[in-house]
Amino acid sequence: MRLVNIISGGLRALFGKQRVEQELDEELRCYMESAVEHKMREGMGREEAAREVRMEMGSREALKEQVREVGWETRIESFLQDLRYGLRMLRKNPSFTSVAVLALALGIGANTAMFSVIEAVLLRPLPYRNANEIVRVASTWDRNGTLTSYTSSPPDFFDWRDQNRSFSSMFAYHTGEFALTGQGEAKRVRAVMATAGMFSTLQAEPMLGREFAPEENRKGANHVVILSHSLWQAAFAGAADAIGKTIQLDSEPYTIIGVMPADFRFPLSGSDAFAPIGFDDKVMTQRGAHYLAVLGRLQSGVTLAQANDDLSAIMAQLRKLYPDKDGKWGVRAQLWSAALVSDIRPALLVLLGAVGLVALIACANISNLLLARATVRHRELAMRRALGAGRSRLVRQMLTEGLLLALLAGGASLLLAHWALVSIVRFGPADIPRLASVALNGPVLAFAMSMSIACALLFALIPALRSSPLDAAGLLRMSVSPSREAGRLRGALLVGEVALSMMLLAGAGLLVRSFVGLSSLSPGFDPKSVLTMSIAVPDAHYKNSAALQSYWDQALTQLRSLPGVASVAAVTPLPLSGDDFSSSFRVEGRSVPEKDEPSAELRFASPDYFRTLAIPLRQGRAFAEADRLGAARVLLISETAARMFFPAGDAIGQKIKFGASGGYEKNEGEIVGVVGDVRHFGVDAPVPPTFYVPLAQSGMDFVAVVMRTQGLPAGLMQAARKVVQAIDSDALVGEPVPMETLVSASLGQRRFYMMLLGGFAALALILAAVGLYGVISYSVAQRTQEVGIRVALGASGSDVVAMVMRQGLRLAAVGLAIGLALALVLKSVLRGLLVGVSATDPATLAVTALALLIVAVLASYVPARRAARVDPMVALRFD
Amino acid sequence: MATPQKPGSVVQGTLDMLILKTLALEPMHGYGVGLRIEQISKGVFQVNAGSLFPAFRRLERQGWIRGEWRATENNRRAKYYMLTDAGRKKLKSEAREWQTQSAAIARILEATSGEV
Repeated sequence: MRLVNIISGGLRALFGKQRVEQELDEELRCYMESAVEHKMREGMGREEAAREVRMEMGSREALKEQVREVGWETRIESFLQDLRYGLRMLRKNPSFTSVAVLALALGIGANTAMFSVIEAVLLRPLPYRNANEIVRVASTWDRNGTLTSYTSSPPDFFDWRDQNRSFSSMFAYHTGEFALTGQGEAKRVRAVMATAGMFSTLQAEPMLGREFAPEENRKGANHVVILSHSLWQAAFAGAADAIGKTIQLDSEPYTIIGVMPADFRFPLSGSDAFAPIGFDDKVMTQRGAHYLAVLGRLQSGVTLAQANDDLSAIMAQLRKLYPDKDGKWGVRAQLWSAALVSDIRPALLVLLGAVGLVALIACANISNLLLARATVRHRELAMRRALGAGRSRLVRQMLTEGLLLALLAGGASLLLAHWALVSIVRFGPADIPRLASVALNGPVLAFAMSMSIACALLFALIPALRSSPLDAAGLLRMSVSPSREAGRLRGALLVGEVALSMMLLAGAGLLVRSFVGLSSLSPGFDPKSVLTMSIAVPDAHYKNSAALQSYWDQALTQLRSLPGVASVAAVTPLPLSGDDFSSSFRVEGRSVPEKDEPSAELRFASPDYFRTLAIPLRQGRAFAEADRLGAARVLLISETAARMFFPAGDAIGQKIKFGASGGYEKNEGEIVGVVGDVRHFGVDAPVPPTFYVPLAQSGMDFVAVVMRTQGLPAGLMQAARKVVQAIDSDALVGEPVPMETLVSASLGQRRFYMMLLGGFAALALILAAVGLYGVISYSVAQRTQEVGIRVALGASGSDVVAMVMRQGLRLAAVGLAIGLALALVLKSVLRGLLVGVSATDPATLAVTALALLIVAVLASYVPARRAARVDPMVALRFD
Repeated sequence: MATPQKPGSVVQGTLDMLILKTLALEPMHGYGVGLRIEQISKGVFQVNAGSLFPAFRRLERQGWIRGEWRATENNRRAKYYMLTDAGRKKLKSEAREWQTQSAAIARILEATSGEV
């Protein structure tokens, strides 16, 4: 009832406004008359009584305003009024409006773009049902106190899965690829090999057919496959009778048992087919073979900590049971969503902080513009105050104007953010999960909206609060000269802007320096004019090492005969490809317990590999054509490995036996030479100790060929593929890639972070320059009279320029000094992102400070020049 | 610095109750309400227009009073306010609440050390 009253009363007032106002007027008049009559009855004269009543009642307009403010409808009304008024003000000052909107749009746009990256990569839930229950379980290795996560071995996985009491299901998988053959040229199929718990853990079901049965994880029974929706469409045009048919994967028949729905992606980068891992009878003896990723789903009500305790207890038991293989391993459960981005998250948060500073700078800028304008609007505000507008009413009006600006800017910022996202998708590194899925979606739009409103509050509140407390009488005095206090506030804001810009510039400068340093590091080989191409041959066609080797011999010979090719070699795994192969080993003559055996990287290479990639031979000899099956087994060792394992310098001649085998052959041999180090895991990653095994003594079915060419001739890529496919059409031949592309991609994340921070710093610099320019121009305009007097008294143009610039540069210098101090904070923030450069690198700080100073000089020189051209006569007549 | 209690200001929050009570006696126009409060309180409370009219608007919106244009004793049109049924109920509960509270306050103020 009351609510109805309140609402209907408000609506009446809103729509029958004139009548309500009339009534109020009449009521007040009646009140006055009654009061006058009353006073006259007490003996006052009419005049005197009327004056006294007017005094008692105060301003009638103010009184009416008070009555109006009782209802909610006045809020809306005055808001609409403010909105109309604000729009008129913005239209009347197009240059102010466009500068403010543009500055703010840049700030909000950068924030929106950055937030959409955060949203896509860090915040968006993984695309699985109840994804917050999915946990990554990893083997851990304690390296000098820091736990590093590794993949796990099948026996460890089985023991975790069968003994835990925390997970409703758990599965293990590894990724790989198949050649889809039997339909013309072999096609690459990205595959996931998984155990049977995959679908219950991910809570996803095939849309057609069925999932794996547990017994299909045995070798021999594992030739079944579930297709992704897209492969099903491509290979079977979406026909439902595909179930039960067979396809040739790596030249072996696989029965199709299911098709996944179109929106199913696993892993996040996507795959085309899912097949069971075929474990053989010896699987339970392979406790040291870490190659499986493990995911589990927590039982409801079980916390991550409980799961970790549970798994750790199991692992403690395993360490006791298998001290040789599990003796040094631990286990760790992490939310999968967190584990996926654990190394990316800190960098993205630093960038988010940086872009937040850009928004602050933009807000300070607009605050400054508004402050300057508030002085100009002095009299307007005083008039409104005198006519009965309350203080809160004026604050509200100025906030509304701010909001209007911010919303205009918010709209414009979406356009800027859209362009930013297009280039992020195009140029962003491939190894940041889900980066390519950034979009201006609901959460991002909501963010842009709230960001705009927050900015409006931030930049409009300072000027609004500052300009309203002055009393009307003071404001109405004819003087419009700005108070000193306002000038100081503007100066302080400007100093803040410059300081934050300095900090961002310093950060960006450090990243650039670090990046340039890394880019100039040699990867350990010469990538120039080298083309690489992966080749995988079907096991089924080559039953032993000799058969494989004759295939590789043939392929390399054919490639070598192509025009423009200088030398050709084969290696696996390829540096910077993301693949690696490591093994524990034992040195003949040294006796260490199995769990303490050292491990190193293993590479399988053809004789010309070192010459083709220009990897220097330091000692002994490289591989020769004669190092084949049947000949003495030989090995090469990298410099780092030689130093680590044979500090006495006696590596050559040592006999090594490796624990794990790569291909058909057992890996062992005598070290015959030492070669230069290769940064296999990236230019910015530690150099791994490495052994090389002759490809011809290993029996590998997968290699990357490397071809040194004369300037990467056009057409060579297609020719190379054709030649290899001609030998065996079922071989899976990858797209040829220039080695330089791999080198540059290995710095992709760093380049991405550097570009973003550099972009933000550039924005900050522009905003600071605009701010400086605005403040100086405004103060020049204010001081026209003073300048005129000075010129009239004989000051030269250069005196005036110097005077104005001194003012600008003093502010800039203070900001610069504070900014440099703030830059020291970067030390802890940027630590993880900088390589080979200290966070307080004096050269970088000096260069960035100089850059900022030059911009400051330019930004104050332009208005100073204008001041110098002031005509003293005009200036003296001014107001 | 002690702020001297201005004669005539009404205890915060009680103006609405006073208006309701005044109107419970008979419908009245704005000036009459102010005058009546002043008279009954023997000049202790002076209600100015600045408090009175926002209060009328507030009470009207709450549905506790309603206004009606009538002729005054001097034959002028004036807006007379009167209590609604809801307003009568409100007045009753307000008065009861006020009595309990003021009695309690009085007891506390008159307490001797022995009672505490």
